[in-house]
Amino acid sequence: MLVFSFENVGMRYGMGGEVLKDVSFSLEPGSLHFLTGHSGAGKSTLLKLLYLAKRPSRGLVNMFGQDISSVNRKDLPRLRRKIGVVFQEFRLFEHLTTFENVALPLRLKGARLADIREHVEELISWVGLEDRMQAKPPTLSGGEKQRVAIARAVINKPDLLLADEPTGNVDPALAQRLMHLFVELNKQGTTTVIATHDEGLVNQIGAPVLRLEKGELRVLPGTETPSTTNPYLRRKEDRT
Amino acid sequence: MKHLFRERLDFLPKEGRTDALLPWVIAVMMFLTCLSVAATMSIQSGLASWSQGLAARISVQIIQADDAARIRDSEAALKMLRATPGIASADEIDREAILDMISPWLGNAANISGLPVPVLIDVKLDNPGSVDLDALSIRLNATAAGAKLDNHQAWMHRVLNFAGIVKWGAIGIILMVLLSTVAIVIFGCRAGLATHHESISIMHLMGAEDALIAREFDYRYLWHGLKGGLFGLFTALMVLYGTVSLLQKMGQGLLSSLSPESHVLATLLLLPAITAFITMMTARITVRRALLEML
Ligand SMILES: Nc1ncnc2c1ncn2[C@@H]1O[C@H](COP(=O)(O)OP(=O)(O)OP(=O)(O)O)[C@@H](O)[C@H]1O
Ligand SMILES: [Mg+2]
Repeated sequence: MLVFSFENVGMRYGMGGEVLKDVSFSLEPGSLHFLTGHSGAGKSTLLKLLYLAKRPSRGLVNMFGQDISSVNRKDLPRLRRKIGVVFQEFRLFEHLTTFENVALPLRLKGARLADIREHVEELISWVGLEDRMQAKPPTLSGGEKQRVAIARAVINKPDLLLADEPTGNVDPALAQRLMHLFVELNKQGTTTVIATHDEGLVNQIGAPVLRLEKGELRVLPGTETPSTTNPYLRRKEDRT
Repeated sequence: MKHLFRERLDFLPKEGRTDALLPWVIAVMMFLTCLSVAATMSIQSGLASWSQGLAARISVQIIQADDAARIRDSEAALKMLRATPGIASADEIDREAILDMISPWLGNAANISGLPVPVLIDVKLDNPGSVDLDALSIRLNATAAGAKLDNHQAWMHRVLNFAGIVKWGAIGIILMVLLSTVAIVIFGCRAGLATHHESISIMHLMGAEDALIAREFDYRYLWHGLKGGLFGLFTALMVLYGTVSLLQKMGQGLLSSLSPESHVLATLLLLPAITAFITMMTARITVRRALLEML
């Protein structure tokens, strides 16, 4: 079953012109896509439709084979909990520590703090923030906040991961490390969409690209390299 | 319901500036409400006990120009009144006292000691309804031709009319104070909640159910309401206590009946609970509405 499918989706804000026009595409389970386009092309808007923050102005959006417009409002939270989102502007809870921010999606599912502490701390260490575990977002750098946001989005092992410019604020080495995390999660079955400006990363991974231009979407096939030659995955094997 | 037993998620920032203001606003409104309720109820019970006292008293006049007839009539009337069940006492008022009372109207110069002054009998009933006054009036006339019963009806009527006006006026004032309390609580809640819109929105997008988000606000705003309500009530009680003890020191008979009674206090104690409830419900409705506007 398709994770998502869009059919002739149009989207406008208020009375403005259409930001997205006749967008049609689908996401196979376990697929990895990049989402590109110049600034203001509508990448974040498309992701908003995917994480169910907005309804399309027209067209059909299907999630797991269900028409979103016909889903009972009560059933939406359950669907949302299958989605991990890295927001472009992070949207962390400013009064919560790194640890608390990252633990929140698990606790939302009813997990007890004592049961998840180890798991949360492990992931935070993995994104290199073990020293900033008890720090709150106002005291974190842009790149550190971005890593907290990423950790919060993936802590759940979501079915669908949506990342909006997840490497915009970090140096190339860290960008590669974070990208590796996404690829690894994707290999374990998480359908992934990453919006990015970084052509280098797109070319390195070679995944198919959803390209937004003037509100229209084109799907460019990937130049998929076998996983053994994929630099990110090799790095993983080096580690083990 | 199952959310109640979960650990709290603490996704709300501690206290925003608008949040911190709300309990104070509630406290002020609660203070005003308490004072107006207490004042009204005290005036009500003061008037009630006053008219009660009046209702348990009647007077009988005996008007006879002839001295002998007057004395005969008054003795007969007194005897009959004292024998009537339901009457606690019947006493003739001193002729001297009556002359004192009427002298201002007649002037000092006049020699009034020889005037045929009517006899006045002060009658105390066991309680206001203990005697059928119409029947008593007829029997009085049969016993003593010059006797006339005055049951203060006209007076009572005016007192009760006045009490009614005071009551409705006060109810109007209390309603206005209560309504503005509700309005201010609602505006205060809304202002506070506007600052939490981002938190609500993130929780919503992470897949939190509406009930779980709303519950966090229930706790917080219930507490705001209780805090403000209790503080306002406490201040109002201090002021009331101060006023009452001042009045009692001044020893004013009528004013001392203004001291708040137990049912007044009970009503006042209810008010913070009601305010807290209104605050909580406003927050809940506002949060739910904000959530329903999100997809
Ligand atoms: N809430 C909004 N109300 C009105 N217009 C909006 C809103 N959000 C975005 N837009 C407009 O929609 C268009 C697409 O915005 P969007 O944020 O999707 O672009 P983007 O591709 O993510 O850009 P960037 O790479 O800069 O993040 C822009 O022209 C923007 O001005
Ligand atoms: Mg964007």
